[in-house]
Amino acid sequence: MTYKQAQIPRLTIWWMLGALALVVVPHLLRLPVWISALIVACVVWRILIFVGRVGFPNKIIKMLIVFLALPLTVVEYRGTGAGLDAAVCLLILGTVFKLLEMRQRRDMLIVVSLCYVLTMVGFIYSQTILAALHALLTFIVITGALLTLQRDNRRSSLGSNGSLALRLVAQAIPLAIVLFVLVPRVAPLWTMPVPVSSNKTGVTDEMSPGNISNLSRSAELAFRVSFDNNAPLQDQLYWRGLVLDFFDGRSWRRAGSSMQSYEMIERFQSRLGAEKLGGAVGYDIILEPTQQSWIYALQLAEFDAPDILQDRYYTLHTDKPVTQRFRYKMRSYLNNETDMQLAGVLRARALQLPEPEGNPRSRQLAERLRAQSSDDLDYANRVMRYFREEPFHYTLTPPQLGEASIDDFLFNSLEGFCEHYASTFVYLMRAAGVPARVVVGYQGGEINPFEGYTMVYQYNAHAWSEIWLEGQGWVRMDPTAAVAPERISLGAQAVLGDQPGFLENSRFSMLRFRNTEWLNSLRLRLDAMDYAWNRWVVSYDEDLQLQFLEAIFGDRAKQALLYALGVSILLFFIIAAYFLLGGRKRDMRDKATRLYLSLLADLAGGGITRQRGEGPSDFANRVALSRPDIAADMLRITALYVRMSYAQDGREELFGQLSEHILALRLRLSSPWRRLVLRSFPALRA
Amino acid sequence: MNPIDAVKPWFSSRVTRWLERRMPAVQEITLHRKNIFILPTGPGLLFLTATALIFVTAINYVLSLAFGLAFLMVSLFILSILHTFRNLQHLSLRGAGAEPVFAGEDAEFVVLLGRQPSHEHEMLELRFPGCLWSQANVLDNEQERVKVFLPSTQRGVLKAPRLTVQTRFPLGLWRAWSHVDLAMSCLVYPCPLQGPLPGLVGGTTSGKTESVKTGVDDFHGLRAYQTGDSLKQIAWKSLARGQGLKVKQFVDAVDDQLMLDWEMFPGLDYEERLSRLCYWVLILAAQDIDYGLRIPGAELCLGRGDAHRNRLLSALALWQGGAL
Repeated sequence: MTYKQAQIPRLTIWWMLGALALVVVPHLLRLPVWISALIVACVVWRILIFVGRVGFPNKIIKMLIVFLALPLTVVEYRGTGAGLDAAVCLLILGTVFKLLEMRQRRDMLIVVSLCYVLTMVGFIYSQTILAALHALLTFIVITGALLTLQRDNRRSSLGSNGSLALRLVAQAIPLAIVLFVLVPRVAPLWTMPVPVSSNKTGVTDEMSPGNISNLSRSAELAFRVSFDNNAPLQDQLYWRGLVLDFFDGRSWRRAGSSMQSYEMIERFQSRLGAEKLGGAVGYDIILEPTQQSWIYALQLAEFDAPDILQDRYYTLHTDKPVTQRFRYKMRSYLNNETDMQLAGVLRARALQLPEPEGNPRSRQLAERLRAQSSDDLDYANRVMRYFREEPFHYTLTPPQLGEASIDDFLFNSLEGFCEHYASTFVYLMRAAGVPARVVVGYQGGEINPFEGYTMVYQYNAHAWSEIWLEGQGWVRMDPTAAVAPERISLGAQAVLGDQPGFLENSRFSMLRFRNTEWLNSLRLRLDAMDYAWNRWVVSYDEDLQLQFLEAIFGDRAKQALLYALGVSILLFFIIAAYFLLGGRKRDMRDKATRLYLSLLADLAGGGITRQRGEGPSDFANRVALSRPDIAADMLRITALYVRMSYAQDGREELFGQLSEHILALRLRLSSPWRRLVLRSFPALRA
Repeated sequence: MNPIDAVKPWFSSRVTRWLERRMPAVQEITLHRKNIFILPTGPGLLFLTATALIFVTAINYVLSLAFGLAFLMVSLFILSILHTFRNLQHLSLRGAGAEPVFAGEDAEFVVLLGRQPSHEHEMLELRFPGCLWSQANVLDNEQERVKVFLPSTQRGVLKAPRLTVQTRFPLGLWRAWSHVDLAMSCLVYPCPLQGPLPGLVGGTTSGKTESVKTGVDDFHGLRAYQTGDSLKQIAWKSLARGQGLKVKQFVDAVDDQLMLDWEMFPGLDYEERLSRLCYWVLILAAQDIDYGLRIPGAELCLGRGDAHRNRLLSALALWQGGAL
């Protein structure tokens, strides 16, 4: 029986089951129910085999499992476009099946390797601190399982094995960190399918009454921003997401949204015409996964990321849905002039109204107010004043609107959330022939006092409008600011905090306890930690690497990189070797012997050599006879040396005396020049 | 013959000679940098393959933490070189000889494993080429004994080949090993061969007494009839079967003396004679009698006891043809 075919020790199986459980658990909730059930069943079966209740599955059952489970998985995932999810599912199933027929060491080694790979697979879905800690624990347990194969199972217990695994991993971490920082990051070798969750979050590309107010029930984070310099004021923080310019009488959508593919946008790149005025605000955003392919930025953003495109509405798009936390850098020009000439399709879209025309009272209102106004801007201000002066309410729980939603809102309910105001405002503009559009995104944000970045939550979701004015281009108009100015100046939580329904869907969010001082501070600290983690670890990339190296090596960072890498690996190896392989600490006795031998060498130089097999005492007696001048010293030194060799305690004191006497004697025996050397360089004495 | 098989003996002889120069046979050896070899194992390469897979995935999906995982695995792989090496480093091996065995039995070589106070050695494996592995730990005690087995095929002195000592501890990713020659040997007695003791060769010895005597107590076989044999001892049954005139032979173990002699087994070849003599030495050693041995070139006087027996067995083991 060879090593590979040898039986697996029982202890190993426990470790292996533990490792596998740790690896699989995070996936169980994500996978289809029947697959999760199958996985649990297989693991339970393996445990029953282990305790001797049932036998290994026979060939027929194995075939049955494989030939049923695999095609069913393929069917389950077919057409979902989630190729990666399917692959991950198959990998997990394969590992679990292998577990069922794990008899020999060779099988076990394959399962261990698969477990390592599955640990990595977890990162495709989550890279939070918690996920990292979980992976580290898993890694230690897998390593522990590997360890049990090489240990004497009569001796190794759970504790000793665990502590050894822990020690090994702990020793490996320093080099891992160095490699993480220094190994050059390369661009993806080929494109990969990305797992798209159907669980889209955040602002959607359709706005109907009620769906922005729904977001305010959620305390989930949307994104975090850190500004290069000071953050602009709250009322400047309009995070544009999408422009919705098609109104069907109830909902707002993107006009020709089917045409809004990445490729189409790419084609229109060159037609953008915007004038940047004044300075730019630089910032850095880490967006939480949205599963959508647009991202948020302040007005008129400029960037150099190749995977981001700007469309004709100056909104930003990515080439694939944001499934992982996504980090991007932007420079925004808050003062700008966009689309000074508005023509063709864009103009038509900005004036579109639903057919057949409804909402007669609203259109009458628009005509009346427009007739009283000198120009479009005056008209817009007049409408804003109308919102301010009439008894409109800003509320999270507005009543349902009837068929003619605009009329119903303007003249009956007078209660609404930002989407009602934005929608109505744009309608009134268009009804009077002023090009206008709805913008959805986020407004405001909370500054984290510990790290100084801004946190934007889902409840910051907002809708406002932009109107086009001759000579000014697109101008932002926020009717909500007219109704509830403190929503814009103080933020959503200040206005909505007391309203029923606010954060209703996040009952356990710490945000609900923002009024308890220490809990709020804890929340902010945890968020700061998570942010730092994302900024420095999860989104550590080429740029950050270069930035870091430049801080150390200056201009020649790129050239220094490989040297630094080589030197640090070597250094790690040497340091580890010193501690692991050195280990032979010289104790006092060794040191005493070296001193004694140095004296003998001096004596040998003077013609007195110790014979082979001659003990120190015999030798001392002989020296005493032939050199009466040093007899007393020699005898004293020898007595000390012998005592030192057998002494149990007080060795340090003896050693002190011994070295003193030996030095004195050697100085007496030496030539004047050598005496000088011995006095000046203590290191040369032994 | 395939080319690898053709090169193998040449290669292994080169390796043997190289080892011979590098690590000559010694009674005691301490393993260190210069006599420990280390290479990755199959599982080690599997581990590296998994690492590479994780690394490529990390690149393609831009997963920072997967990079971290891959680097942790690389680091662990490098680190385990040191741990595996350390597990052999400063291990001292001393050959403590082996009890004599009979040809065909496994010789049990005792190796004393010693450690430095700073080092421990877990899951060491030792074997002679092509033989079974023996496992040992040197953890708590300063010294441990381990028996390593080597099959013996023929009598004489069995010189132990190079001993392989290896370890895969802690993770099995690397295998560190050394081939040490501890100058051990084992005395191999001839394989005892059961058979009757033919021919009474009494009176030919020192003349003191007849040292071999057929007795009446223990039936021990048949031999051809010789004039003067008692009629009572004739095997009538075998005569009836037409097998000729045979005499039942008995060994009488009453306080007596027996001199085993080379000439007791005429017609057999030397090794067989030695084997039969060996068998009889063992039989006699178990009886309460004095016995001796005479083989060409050596004559061992009568005596008894374990030391005497071993002396006789050694003489048989080491017989080189004597004066023949």
